[in-house]
Amino acid sequence: MTPATDIPLKQPAISATAGEVEQLERAIIDASTRVPVLMFYASAMVWLLIGTLLALFALFKLHAPGWLADYGCLTWGRLRPVQMDIMIYGWASMVGMGTATWLMARLCRTTLRHPLLLVAGTCFWNIGVVVGVIAVLMGYSTGYQWLEFPPYAGVILLAAYALIVSWAVLMFRFRRGEQIYITQWYLLGAFLWFPWMYAAAHAMLFVTPVQGVMQAVVGWWYANNLMFLWLGAIALGTAYYMIPKVIGRPVYSYHLATIGFWTYALFSSWTGMQRLVDGPFPAWMITASIAATILTIIPVATVGLNHHRTMQGYFPVMRYSPTLRFTVFGAMAYTIFSIVGILISLRSTAQYLHFTIANSAYSQMGLYAFFTMIMFGSMYYIVPRLVGREWRYASLIKLHFWASAYGIGLLSLLLLVGGFVQGKSQQDPTLPFVESVQSVLPYLRGLSLAALLLTASHFIFAYHFGLMLFGLGRTSTVPTFLNPVEAEGAETHL
Amino acid sequence: MRGLMPLFLGLFGTFTFSWLGLTVIPNAQIGALNPQMDEEQTDIYPMPQSGMVQLGRQVYAANGCAYCHSRQLRPDYIAADLDRDRDVGPSPRPKWGTRRSAPRDYVFERPVLLGDERLGPDLADIGKAAPTAEESPAAPAGSAAGAAPSQSAAGNAASPKPAASAAASPASAVATTAPSPVPNPNGMPAAYSEAWHHRHLYSPQSMSPETRDSIMPAFRFLYDKRRIGAEPSADALHLTGPAAPAAGWEIVPTYEAKCLVAYLMAQDQSHGLKEVKGAGSGAPAAGSPAAAPAGSPVTAAPAKK
Repeated sequence: MTPATDIPLKQPAISATAGEVEQLERAIIDASTRVPVLMFYASAMVWLLIGTLLALFALFKLHAPGWLADYGCLTWGRLRPVQMDIMIYGWASMVGMGTATWLMARLCRTTLRHPLLLVAGTCFWNIGVVVGVIAVLMGYSTGYQWLEFPPYAGVILLAAYALIVSWAVLMFRFRRGEQIYITQWYLLGAFLWFPWMYAAAHAMLFVTPVQGVMQAVVGWWYANNLMFLWLGAIALGTAYYMIPKVIGRPVYSYHLATIGFWTYALFSSWTGMQRLVDGPFPAWMITASIAATILTIIPVATVGLNHHRTMQGYFPVMRYSPTLRFTVFGAMAYTIFSIVGILISLRSTAQYLHFTIANSAYSQMGLYAFFTMIMFGSMYYIVPRLVGREWRYASLIKLHFWASAYGIGLLSLLLLVGGFVQGKSQQDPTLPFVESVQSVLPYLRGLSLAALLLTASHFIFAYHFGLMLFGLGRTSTVPTFLNPVEAEGAETHL
Repeated sequence: MRGLMPLFLGLFGTFTFSWLGLTVIPNAQIGALNPQMDEEQTDIYPMPQSGMVQLGRQVYAANGCAYCHSRQLRPDYIAADLDRDRDVGPSPRPKWGTRRSAPRDYVFERPVLLGDERLGPDLADIGKAAPTAEESPAAPAGSAAGAAPSQSAAGNAASPKPAASAAASPASAVATTAPSPVPNPNGMPAAYSEAWHHRHLYSPQSMSPETRDSIMPAFRFLYDKRRIGAEPSADALHLTGPAAPAAGWEIVPTYEAKCLVAYLMAQDQSHGLKEVKGAGSGAPAAGSPAAAPAGSPVTAAPAKK
């Protein structure tokens, strides 16, 4: 099989000799997941657009504090948590669950049973987010980072989650085949860890509240694990599926993947307390988290190496495959995000960067450059298989990619550099405090520009997704390539 | 089936390890602290807070103040927090605080709002920066005139606001029926007094040259604008310059705003703690060179409400 024909057909590596039967079986499995997964995706897209607009709003207000400030529900201090929560629970969690559901069905080689009940779970989840968003805008925020939704919204989310996850478990129960692929490890982990962290955080903050500063500890423990063991695990699992699938080549080393998985679970779950550095906490916790952060270099290196070796020789495929381009961007961003995380957690840098906007750089790199980009990639792969149409415009995909890539790149860079500038003037007690705010203001203005890029990219993608949803995609047997594939040219590239 | 059981045990085990290590064990260590008291059990710190302060904390949380204002001070060997003066106030300016924060400072707080970003100054000790009740209004030089030569480098492009407020301030010493410390002659309440906080919340940019470039949003929705009745309300804000309402109208704080200010006035970590070495430890009033030459700074702020 020549690479040139290999790419377009996206033959899976595991079943390189797959026959008609397997193709048919896969189509049946895909069809069974159609309604719930599209439902997840459609809800996620709506939340993404709302969240993007609110983020843009909040960023503008940062340097134009007087703008629309006279209404309680539009004050910056409510918009900021609302847009963050919408991005986490509305966009990231829903798109993650959609992709995870589809992957689970594919990898368990079983159809999704009773999809309508999963749809009910999706509805409940949406209701939970709506309730939470309205409550925070009305001024009923709990005040805990990433847990601003009042407990009653949390209960709805948890109930919805129970509905959703039971279907994933059911699929796993009915799986065929002996092997449990590495993606399934990540997904099973995410499915198990999320309710645990969410319920534990709720129990320790609202049911039997812990005392004083322990609330901050629980809050950051939760927020950090949400990033790594819920969203991060889904993203890494997806990357382990998409990269080999698109290039049609097995994962380079299964052994490395195993090491990467367990060290990831072990070390990244212990990070998070570095966000409390030098605060009123026992120093050992912070030191332990810094050490764990440094140790995350092990999963980063193994996962990165594994993807890299898998991709080796196939990097030019990124010229054609939207899925691969987004996924590889996300996988590379995971490495950068982790290295930045290590650098800013060290006490010597943290004394400058703690209390600056550099913290947001870390969150944004994790949530967007790493997680969201991989999810975009998976949607480019999955949606055509659900609606039976191909993406309509290659140009829109390219625009989406470049606007996202430049947007998040600019955003992270501005936040990091701005954080350093801000931290330097914060650490100089001879300067008035307002000086540190002034010094960061140009960067805050720049953020609005980055946010505009991201807004454009999301609206382009939403439009394209809408076309697909309403059956306006291309009817074709070949997927949409970013650039026309010239068979000879491709061959020489490969 | 091979490998499924170890997989689940591993998933379960790694997360249990994190959960126990980072939440349960620390909770056993610092999750049941008692207030500190001396032998006679008279000097108790911290004290449970009043209902208004508690409500004020909810307002503070609901409006996201904690996303810009931290409420924790780092030790002096790490950071400049304790060397830093507040940007406004009588000379010598109040410090941000006198000692690092400790877990015991927060035992009665729920939710605890430590904050992790400083787009605004730290508020852990903001209540202590308030002028003491018996202190004479020695602040005319402080808030507006004192440091008028603008230190903000990038501020020149801001707006004509500072000029306007400076011009307007001497003219308007009207309606001074405030319950809080007497406003000084130029119409600006003493820095960090209740009246100052109200005015700052209502119109952050109108306070003084140092705050004209503030990026703090105004919280006007916490204030009612209404027609002056038979006589002006006792708690009406005295506003000058562009922030002032039209003649015949007055701005009065809602109950929420009063709670929020009560909460801010209650922020005081100056009391010494045995476990914290440094300026603030030992005798209660030891490390308070900054706030006020007169009065006893430690008891002043909480006693006021």
